[in-house]
Formats: sequence, C-alpha cells, structure tokens
Amino acid sequence: MTEAFKKFETNLSYYFSRVLNKRLAKPLWIFISLSHQCTYNCQMCGVVKILKGYELNTEDVKKAFNEISGWQRDFTVVITGGEPFLRKDIFEIFRYAREANLNIEAVTNGSLIDRAVAGKIMASGLKNIAVSLDGAGEQTHDYIREKGAFRKATEALKHLVAAKRDNRGGPQISVWTTIMKENVGELFDIISVARELGVECLVYHPVIVAQEDMQNTSSSARFWLQEEEVKILKGQIDRIVDYQKKNGLVAFLHDPYLWLRHFNGQLTSQEWSCNPFVFINIGPDGEVRSCGAAFGNIRNMDLEACLDTPEADRARGLMKNCRKPCLQTCWSHPEADSLSGIVDTFIYEVRKYSSGRQEKKELLDAALSRLTDYESLLKNAKP
Amino acid sequence: MPNLKEVIISITNRCNLRCRMCDIPGGKSEELPTDQWKKVISDASRLGSQTIVFSGGEPLLREDIFELIYFTRKNKLNACLTSNGCLIDSQAASRLSASGVNVVNISIEGSKGTHDHLRGEGSFEKALSALENLRSQRIESTVASTVSRYNYKELPYILEVAKNYGSTTVRLQPFNLIFLKDRASGAGFFIDEADIQKMEGLIGRFISVSKEYKISVNPESYLRKIPAYLAGRRSHPRNCAALWYSCPIASNGDVFPCWIEAANNKLIGNIREEGLYELWLSGKRMKMVNSIVNNGCSGCLMSCYDEVFGSRLSKAYLLDKAKKVKKIASYQRLANKAGQLLKSQATTMKLRYRFYASYRGSVTNLLKRRLSRILNKLQGPEKTGGDEKEMALLEISRLKTKLEKEIRSL
Ligand SMILES: C[S@@+](CC[C@H](N)C(=O)[O-])C[C@H]1O[C@@H](n2cnc3c(N)ncnc32)[C@H](O)[C@@H]1O
Ligand SMILES: C[S@@+](CC[C@H](N)C(=O)[O-])C[C@H]1O[C@@H](n2cnc3c(N)ncnc32)[C@H](O)[C@@H]1O
Ligand code: SF4
Ligand code: SF4
Ligand code: SF4
Ligand code: SF4
Repeated sequence: MTEAFKKFETNLSYYFSRVLNKRLAKPLWIFISLSHQCTYNCQMCGVVKILKGYELNTEDVKKAFNEISGWQRDFTVVITGGEPFLRKDIFEIFRYAREANLNIEAVTNGSLIDRAVAGKIMASGLKNIAVSLDGAGEQTHDYIREKGAFRKATEALKHLVAAKRDNRGGPQISVWTTIMKENVGELFDIISVARELGVECLVYHPVIVAQEDMQNTSSSARFWLQEEEVKILKGQIDRIVDYQKKNGLVAFLHDPYLWLRHFNGQLTSQEWSCNPFVFINIGPDGEVRSCGAAFGNIRNMDLEACLDTPEADRARGLMKNCRKPCLQTCWSHPEADSLSGIVDTFIYEVRKYSSGRQEKKELLDAALSRLTDYESLLKNAKP
Repeated sequence: MPNLKEVIISITNRCNLRCRMCDIPGGKSEELPTDQWKKVISDASRLGSQTIVFSGGEPLLREDIFELIYFTRKNKLNACLTSNGCLIDSQAASRLSASGVNVVNISIEGSKGTHDHLRGEGSFEKALSALENLRSQRIESTVASTVSRYNYKELPYILEVAKNYGSTTVRLQPFNLIFLKDRASGAGFFIDEADIQKMEGLIGRFISVSKEYKISVNPESYLRKIPAYLAGRRSHPRNCAALWYSCPIASNGDVFPCWIEAANNKLIGNIREEGLYELWLSGKRMKMVNSIVNNGCSGCLMSCYDEVFGSRLSKAYLLDKAKKVKKIASYQRLANKAGQLLKSQATTMKLRYRFYASYRGSVTNLLKRRLSRILNKLQGPEKTGGDEKEMALLEISRLKTKLEKEIRSL
C-alpha cells in the first residue's frame, strides 16, 4: 500500500512542478552520452555529428552516480552515445553503478559485442541492454547504417541471448527501432526477426529529424513520413497492436496510433504533453540538457544544482509551451497529467488494496494533507 | 465529408429551477464522470470541432464544470456555457473567468413579471445579477429567450436588458414541445393564427431595435419564420445542416443526430460504450443521417441550428457573416504596427469565416479580442485562455472534498 502512496506523491510532484514551473521532483530518466564517438555514421543520426571530441570523464560520471544514488525513488540511468562500448571504462562504469544500487541500462549498435563482451554484459548488473535494429533485413538496416551492420547487430543479439542462457540470467535483451520513411514497410517484420533471435522486448520510437531543435519537426525532412507512408504506417500499427495483444514482446510507451498524428503534423500538446521535469540528458561535454537546451555542467557543479539554474527554469518554461511534441517516449509522464486522475487512481487503489479501516484512513488523511500542502504552496506562489 | 463544428453537451438534467416550459429536470438522472467528458472533448478536437457548448439542466450544478471548460480551452476549442444565471455570484464569475470561458449565455424571458411567472419567483433578479457579475469579470455575455405566447410582446424589452448589461447578442428560439413530458400541457405556449400579424410586427421591431443597439441577433430570415411556426405551421426540411455539423450529447452519454430527432428514438450510440470519435465516423450515424435527410425530419426552429437551417439560408447567412469578417480590413490598418503576422492572421480569419458562423458569441468581438492578443503578445507564446494556477486551486478544493467524503464513508 505504501507503493500506491509513493506513486501518488511522485505524480503530485510532477503535476505541480509543471503547473508552477518549479522543480519539486527529480527526473525519472537520466540519459548519459559518454561520448559521441561511434563505429558508424548512420544517416538519420544527429548525435554523432555534434560535440565531436568530447569525452565524459570517468570520475565525473562516478560523482554523478554518487549523487543520484542518494536520491529517493527509482530512477533509471540509460547509457547511450555514440557507441558506449567504444569506451574502455564502460564496464567500470557499469560496476560502479551497480555498487551504487542504480537502475542502469544501455543502448548499442551491437558492432562491438562479441561472445566475450556479451558474457561480461551478463555479469554487469545492467537491467536492460538494447540493440538498435532499423530494418527487418540487411537491405534497409545496412543502407541506413553501414554495410554489414545488420549482420553485426543480429550476431550481437545472438551472443547476448546465448550468454544469458549460460549465465542463467542477466539484463533484459531488447531491440530499439527508429520509425522512419526508409523502414516503415517492414516495422511489423522486425517482430519476427526479434522473436527468432530470442529478444525479450521490442520498442519503436519515431525519428527525430533535427536534434538541435526538436520542436521544429519538419515534414520535409529526409526521414519523415509523407502522407502515403503514414497510411502504410497505419497498416503496420494495426498488425503490431494485434500481435502485441496476443503475444506481448512489443512494449508500447504510449498509444502507437499517436504516431500517425505525429507524422501528419497534427499531434497537439494536449494529446501528448511533455513533462519537462521527467527527463534529462547529460552530454559528453558534461552539459545537462532537456529538449536540446543546456543548463548546467556536471564537471563543475552538482547534478542537482544544474537542475536549478535560471537556465533550467527557462528551458523548462519553453518546453511547457511546446506546440509540437516530439513523441520521444521518456519526455512524458501521462500519469501525472491530470490532478483528478491522480487522486481518483489513489482513492481507487486504497479502496481496492488496503486492508483495514484504520489503514485506509491513514492513507487518505496523508493524501489530504499532501493536497493541503500543495494548496498553500500554490497560494503563496501567486503573484 | 463535412466536419464536426460544434458539440452540444447537456451535462446534467438536474436543475435548480422548474420552468413552466421545461421538464428537463425530471429526465434521466444518470451522468458521466469528468474523465469521460474530457475524452469527449479531446475527441471533438480530433474531429476538427471548434466549439463545445455546455448546457443542461443547469450546468453549474456540476462541480467539475469549471475544470471541463478549462480543459476545453486548453484543447484550443471555444467554450460556451448556457445557464439560468442563478448560481453565477461573484465568486462563480471569477471561477468562470479563470476557466477561460468564451461566452456565457443567460436565459431571459422578458420583464420581471413574465420571467418570474415562467421561471419562478426571484429568478429574474438572479439572472440580472449574473449578467452584472459576468460584466465585472469582463466575460462576454449573451441572452437567450424562448419565444411563446407569454412573452412575445416583450421581445424588444429583452434588448433593453441586453443593452444595459453589455450583452453582445440576443438569440430567440420558439417554444418547442420536446422539452415537455406531457405535451398537452404545452398548448398554451402557441399563438393563434390571428396573432401572427401582431407578432410579425413585434419581430420587425425587435430587428430594428437590435440594429440600433448594435446587438447581434439570429439571422433575420430565421426570425421572420418564428410567428408562423408558433402558430403551428410546420415545415419539414430535407437537408438541415445541423445534422452534418453539430452533435448533441445527453447527460447520460447518449449521442443523437439532433435534439429533436432524439425524441424519435434516433440514438446513434452511447459515450460509455464508444468514443465520440468512433461514433461520429461510424456507418451507423451516416445511415441514420442519410435516412433523416431523405425522409425529411420533424422540423424545428431551434436557435442552435438557426444559421444552418436550410441550405439557402445557410448560404445567405454565411455571406452575411463573411461581410462582417471583411470589416477586418479596418483592423488591418493596425498591420503596420503588427507587421506581417497580423496580416496573415487576418487572412486566415477571413478564410475561416465558416468557423465564425458557428461561434456563439459576437464575431466582431471575437476578432477584436484575437487581434489585440496578437498585438499584445506578438512575441510570447499563444495563450489558450484560463489560468492554470487558479484552476489547479479550484481542483484541489474539489478533490479535498472528495477525499474528506471518502474518509467519512469509511
Ligand atoms: C543515438 S543511438 C546511440 C546508441 C548506439 N550507437 C545505437 O545506435 O544504438 C541511440 C538510439 O537512437 C536511435 N536514433 C538514431 N538517430 C535517431 C533519430 N534521428 N531519431 C530518433 N532516434 C534515433 C538509434 O537507432 C538508437 O536506437
Ligand atoms: C434547457 S435550457 C438549459 C440551460 C439553463 N438551465 C437555462 O435555462 O438557460 C437551454 C435553453 O432552452 C430554453 N428552453 C427551455 N424550454 C424550452 C422549450 N420548451 N422550447 C424551447 N426552448 C426551451 C431555455 O429558455 C434556455 O434558453
Ligand atoms: S550507431 Fe548509434 S550513435 Fe552511431 S551513428 Fe548510428 S545511431 Fe548514431
Ligand atoms: S515534447 Fe518535450 S522534448 Fe519533445 S520537442 Fe516538445 S518540449 Fe521538447
Ligand atoms: S429551462 Fe433551464 S432553468 Fe428552466 S427548468 Fe429547464 S433547464 Fe432548468
Ligand atoms: S431541422 Fe431540426 S429536427 Fe430537422 S434535422 Fe434539423 S435540427 Fe433536427
């Protein structure tokens, strides 16, 4: 039952953070790009084209981990890049995170994962390892990424699955697929590729066309879906949803039909409202960013201090007024979008799961006093 | 296929008055929860609707009405509220202002004596104070009247009220039997053939006074039809555009082709079972609407359908509105100040004149407001109306009550 209350508190803090544009909670998702060095130079990837030559210091990463491990609640740290396995210290970083008791995940193109590396990943304490797959076969994937990349990605997945079996456990093995014009017709077919390889989870996300200015999703960009392709996407979603209902495997981070409106340029911030307090990205230069804007550097400040700079307030203020949501899954927290939704869910859970009258009363009283606290916070915040 | 333009939500059948011409408060008591209405509103927005009208019963009896209006505005739709005014004290008016409501419509039936006779002792004073409170919050108010034998002689007087309280619009709607359970009890509301001429004269005066006072009223051609209609001469139009552009939803979630056909058991579906989005696009609705169009409908002169009533009228009316929108040219002089942005806005406004035809308040007012917003906020992000903090406070107090109730019920 304390779970329900914890959830209630978390959601309230995100809700009121947004209303007041004042940080009352720490981000749930912390993406860290150790470096933008990569083994590939994929066509749609904006990341490897910027911040070249920066490498995040091992010591700075550890310092951030120390700080995060002191935070309450469950945060997820996702190690990304560039190609994370190019870093010599990558397993040292994983080990440090595990010892600090952090939820940590990683995403890779798979090019550097041989049998030995796969074995080490199983023992690393990662919760999830994702390999990117942008097509159901060589043709598309290699066209987007590099010749031989499809074979390497699938080999990597095979090594991971085998290593997990040998190790009797290890991180969840996932595939991440970027939805774009080039692969729209084979999204559904990626499911069978993944299933045959023994993958446990498949996540799709729409392409970002301009990394430096995400709110400017432009329909003329190269990888963007045009009207005809959106129709194809609709057919693919129907099949994917149908498959998912029966067999699982695919994990939706939001209603997949939103992709259609997204690519048609019709998605509004009411259907998908980005909560600026839920997500941050730390770049290889040490800058902490949200939606492209940098607001503090972990090389010379605590992470929490970075979150409270005036630049951070400004960046989040702009995000709050975002008119073109980018649909990148981690930027949002729909459970905290509506206050009545938060309270109704809580009452429902108390009714359903709590045992005695006394417990129920305590929980509801606590909820009432939380609301009262926020009420006075809100009153005092008024100009 | 024509797009949905407006959704008319009868949010509750409950009412704090018992008007002689209306038995709505005795109707079904079942109501949908807040979140389901929110879903309706987002679906309406997805379908391209421009306006949500909240009516009832008395919509202010729903404690979540402010939240729903705020949600409507946040979805960038217009929100219009129709009320008898009894509950619009100064506090409610400031809540309405925080919610960002576009227009509040208050029902006035005539002079104090006539109004109170039809709506109940004391209701006239309360309606007037509602108009006053709306004015002090600078919320646009409009006035609605149900025309019948009891009040047609006072139609010009209603314009006086509107003028005194700064209301922008007066909308007439002839008495209709569908609001009554026992239809026989409605006989007294109609007029005799012999009175038609007298009433025509009063309608004429109503029109000329409205021009003098610069108060918008229903289209003239519509108003001219009222006397014959009230004397019992019905027409059964074959192509009422309301069927294509507007969607009424009852408090229990029933979706109908129009309020009048609802009485003929023409039910499209229910919101608890299917979303508005699906229902509106469903084959079932298409079939039903087509059959009404082909077979002729019951016919009505409900004011919510006035500007779309009959295809010829609808064209004439739209042209009339378009002319008004052309007055925008005079605002375009401001374009020198506001630059290209304003100009392009004015053009899109012209292009979208159809939308303004379905807007419940004064078009000119809306445009003025829009333009001044553009001028003021040239740089800033678009404000969607409503004050988020104010609304959050309102919601907190409502939810605290809910929690307290839950605690007491343990
Ligand atoms: C930038 S990569 C870094 C990790 C690793 N190099 C890889 O490719 O998986 C992280 C994820 O972003 C995806 N990605 C690359 N370009 C993208 C874009 N323009 N929009 C959305 N996702 C993109 C990749 O496919 C990958 O799943
Ligand atoms: C049903 S009320 C609901 C809103 C609110 N309770 C009010 O009275 O304004 C909506 C409008 O319908 C009108 N009305 C009531 N009975 C009617 C009838 N029998 N025929 C036509 N209109 C009627 C009212 O005067 C009012 O303007
Ligand atoms: S492998 Fe990953 S980081 Fe490298 S270029 Fe491709 S998408 Fe970008
Ligand atoms: S949804 Fe959020 S992250 Fe995405 S573009 Fe908008 S503000 Fe930025
Ligand atoms: S007309 Fe309005 S105020 Fe009068 S009884 Fe009907 S719903 Fe209530
Ligand atoms: S004229 Fe009246 S009854 Fe006929 S379809 Fe239109 S709204 Fe319904």
